[in-house]
Amino acid sequence: MKKFYFGLIIFFVFLTITGAAPKPKVHIKKLKNGHYQLMVENKPYIVKGVCYNPIPIGSNHEYDWWSDQNKPWIADGKLMQEMGVNTIRLYQCHENTEEVKQVIRDFYELYGIRSILGHWVGFWEYPCPFYGDKDFQGKIKKEILEMVNLYKDEPGVLFWTLGNENNYSFSGRVNAWSTDEIDKDPDPQKRIFMRAKIYYSFINDLAKEIKKIDPNHPVALGNGELVGLDIANQFSPDIDIVASIIYRGKTFGNIFKSIKATFDKPVVLSEFGADSYDAYKNLEDQNMQAFFLESQWRQIYENLANNPEGAGNCLGGTLFEWTDEWWKHNEYDPQGWKVHDIESNWSNGSYYFDIKAKGNKNMNEEWFGIVALSEELENGINKRIPRKSFYVIREFWKNPQLKAQGTRHKAQDKK
Amino acid sequence: MKNLKLKFLIFVIFYTLYAIRYTLFAFAQDANKLVALSKQIIEAKSNDEANPIFKELTELYIKENKYNDFVDFLGSLAKQKNTLEAAVNYYIAYSRYLQLKYLEEVQNWDEYFSQGNNYRDQITASLQKAIDSTTAKDALHINSRLLLWQFHKGQQDVFSEQALSDLLNSVLEYSKEAKEVKPIKEAADKLLVYGEKGKSKELYKIYVSKIVTSDIKDVELNTIALGSYNEGNLDLAEEIYDVYIERIQKSLAKEKLTPLLIDIAKLFYYNDERPSDALYAEKIFKKIEEVGTKEAFDEELIYLRAFNLEKAKEYPKAKDIYLDLVQRYPQTPHRGEADFKEGIIYTYILRDIKTGKSYFEKLALSANLEPVEESAQKETPSPQVISSLYQLGLLSQWEGDLVKAKEYYDKLVEEAKDGFAETVTKALERLKEIQEAKPLEYNLKTFLDVSLKDEYTTLDTSKLDLRARPYKTKRDAEVSINSTPYIAQSGCLQVELQYLWSGHLGKVLPSSDAPSLNTTYMYPGTKEINLVVVSPTGVIDRNIDLVDVY
Repeated sequence: MKKFYFGLIIFFVFLTITGAAPKPKVHIKKLKNGHYQLMVENKPYIVKGVCYNPIPIGSNHEYDWWSDQNKPWIADGKLMQEMGVNTIRLYQCHENTEEVKQVIRDFYELYGIRSILGHWVGFWEYPCPFYGDKDFQGKIKKEILEMVNLYKDEPGVLFWTLGNENNYSFSGRVNAWSTDEIDKDPDPQKRIFMRAKIYYSFINDLAKEIKKIDPNHPVALGNGELVGLDIANQFSPDIDIVASIIYRGKTFGNIFKSIKATFDKPVVLSEFGADSYDAYKNLEDQNMQAFFLESQWRQIYENLANNPEGAGNCLGGTLFEWTDEWWKHNEYDPQGWKVHDIESNWSNGSYYFDIKAKGNKNMNEEWFGIVALSEELENGINKRIPRKSFYVIREFWKNPQLKAQGTRHKAQDKK
Repeated sequence: MKNLKLKFLIFVIFYTLYAIRYTLFAFAQDANKLVALSKQIIEAKSNDEANPIFKELTELYIKENKYNDFVDFLGSLAKQKNTLEAAVNYYIAYSRYLQLKYLEEVQNWDEYFSQGNNYRDQITASLQKAIDSTTAKDALHINSRLLLWQFHKGQQDVFSEQALSDLLNSVLEYSKEAKEVKPIKEAADKLLVYGEKGKSKELYKIYVSKIVTSDIKDVELNTIALGSYNEGNLDLAEEIYDVYIERIQKSLAKEKLTPLLIDIAKLFYYNDERPSDALYAEKIFKKIEEVGTKEAFDEELIYLRAFNLEKAKEYPKAKDIYLDLVQRYPQTPHRGEADFKEGIIYTYILRDIKTGKSYFEKLALSANLEPVEESAQKETPSPQVISSLYQLGLLSQWEGDLVKAKEYYDKLVEEAKDGFAETVTKALERLKEIQEAKPLEYNLKTFLDVSLKDEYTTLDTSKLDLRARPYKTKRDAEVSINSTPYIAQSGCLQVELQYLWSGHLGKVLPSSDAPSLNTTYMYPGTKEINLVVVSPTGVIDRNIDLVDVY
């Protein structure tokens, strides 16, 4: 009889174990020390990524590279694999779903590279994103849920990112939008809060809806810098990851600790980097770019889980960007798309080597690639020429040397 | 035609053969030189004797970028003569150090990344051996410590600080006995290049003290200081001049000393054409004051001092010296400029509108203070008279006294006759505003508000740098004006700044997103350039700069 009861207990224990819900394929694990890890198929995963938008020389952002017969991602994926890239970030999927699936599959099946799929959340809608309008919200929600439904079963998908720098619209300085109620309030700070509340509530609604149909992939909130995250903390509790866009030069400052304090979610640096053109000396400077990027990756690694020196809330990053984009200086001038422009578009004092450039404009938008494009064609696409950063990051990923541990040898000499 | 082609072909063939012959000849020459130098090194009796030969050899290999060959050669050399071990190790490290730089320069990333760490290991190991096999009395010891620090500094690793400390200690130790001072200067020069200004100053001090303790004469010291100045090494020049001045102060009488000090001050005072250190120049001006009497300052020297202080943005002191100039030399040709600048400094820097206006009024009433020899043209007022009338009109308009403002502007237009078109145009614009009961032009009003209203006293120009170049210029010559606002970093959130330019901006009308401008001026005078920088959260700061057009 004793044996019977013992057997019964064993049977129920077995049932309990086997009957437990399986962990989602990709999920966030909060460790006992409060640190976060991204888990992919139950293994910790560091996002070693690049933003990917392979616009060839002579085309602009409207170019449909997804249906390029020469499949630029095949050559790119091979190079990325050599470098150690395991993730690409795609800003928004193309309308031809089969082509999108092909790209995701090729990256994953040929090179083991996973894709972060993004959506602009209507940020570039003309005349502006009416986030306060229910019809607008409905339209965007439909688009996003369609995207999730279409690609959620692709093995190569890592997670979803909603928006990019949409939060900059709260102050009304970019892609300004409003509502009658907001316009009535005379207090500018309150108006910013009201816009943020509307936007982050909408994002939260989207996150909840996504999770209903796809419990296997986390949802990230794309956010410019840390602006508005204190408000997101109140209205976007269902977000899994903060995907921050940060351009602070050599260091990210205290952002990891700040995020922990204001909106305790894991962080992926979804855009960061440096250009390779010295606007002051008027020449390409690969050392400068490599110097910033190595330093940035070191900080990312210092803040991964289980490093007692860091905040432990970083999951990795997708640097901006894989290849140069020659159209960016003037997107409306087809002649300019064939020219690698050296005129800077904006200023950022954190990139101090060339800040003395005329008008302090030192950021060269067409020179952010860690792989340069040549006008020479190779297999039908612009030949790829890896820059120094490519090798520096490759070496760093092979053997990450963190400052806190002391550095015997670094992969490069300082600029 | 056929004949011509044939001739051309023959020429090409002969030229090619000549070029090959020349290359082979040059190669053979280098090879011969290598053999000769190698022999000399083997025969050298000491490291000091071998060192210049090593340098020559290094140059031969480096100019062909044959780093690996050089390292191999050095290896074989060490086997032949082990007393050269320290030098060999140093030059192996040096060669690898240059090789890494070269690989970066030519972007040979494959070798840079596949061999880079091996080369770095070789650098540190070889330098350590060189250090261990020498003492602080050897120049090679200092050179090795210096290269090791440069390497770690370049690597930005945790060994950098220790390497720097070791270098400084070694130089100190070396300086106690060494007669050869060149390694000290080389180390100081490198520290300066790498941005270690404080440390380089320390070493320059040691270097200078070594020079001084030797039998060097005052005149030689002066020559070395001047040489350093001419090389653009102002830090070192100043160190040497300090010692030089200290010496000559003791040995020379006041009459002989003062002219020498004046020469030094004139070397360093602010000048558009050459390197200058306005603050050091002022230090010398003060010394002249201490040493001599006020008579040492003639009219021109007082003006230079005031101008120098003005360009160093030491405005309160500058105004005192301009005042001194006018009081001691009432007929000075700089009187108009000095008075006008007093008015500007009092009004816009010190926020003392009453005193500022008194200077403008004095100028406006003087009608013409041109020197006597120019009295033939007395009917033409000086540029500063016209500018003062404009300032008086402007300040009255800003204060709301439109009747007074109109009077000043009308007088300006009348006095200017057909000249001073730039200022006359501005006066007419202001008159139109008064006539149409419109407010002052926005940028100008903003500048006046933040410069003069009590609520903006926290805006003291410290957060906005504004500089023109050149400061003294001819008519129709280009002047470049640059601004740098100091604001908190905001990552990729690009804070859009508005640059509200006003004042005398010459031929250009800069847009509000322009932080700099290039302009020219048609008429002489002292041109005031006003700027207020505004961010979405409010005014960052304001500033004013002055350009003198002749």
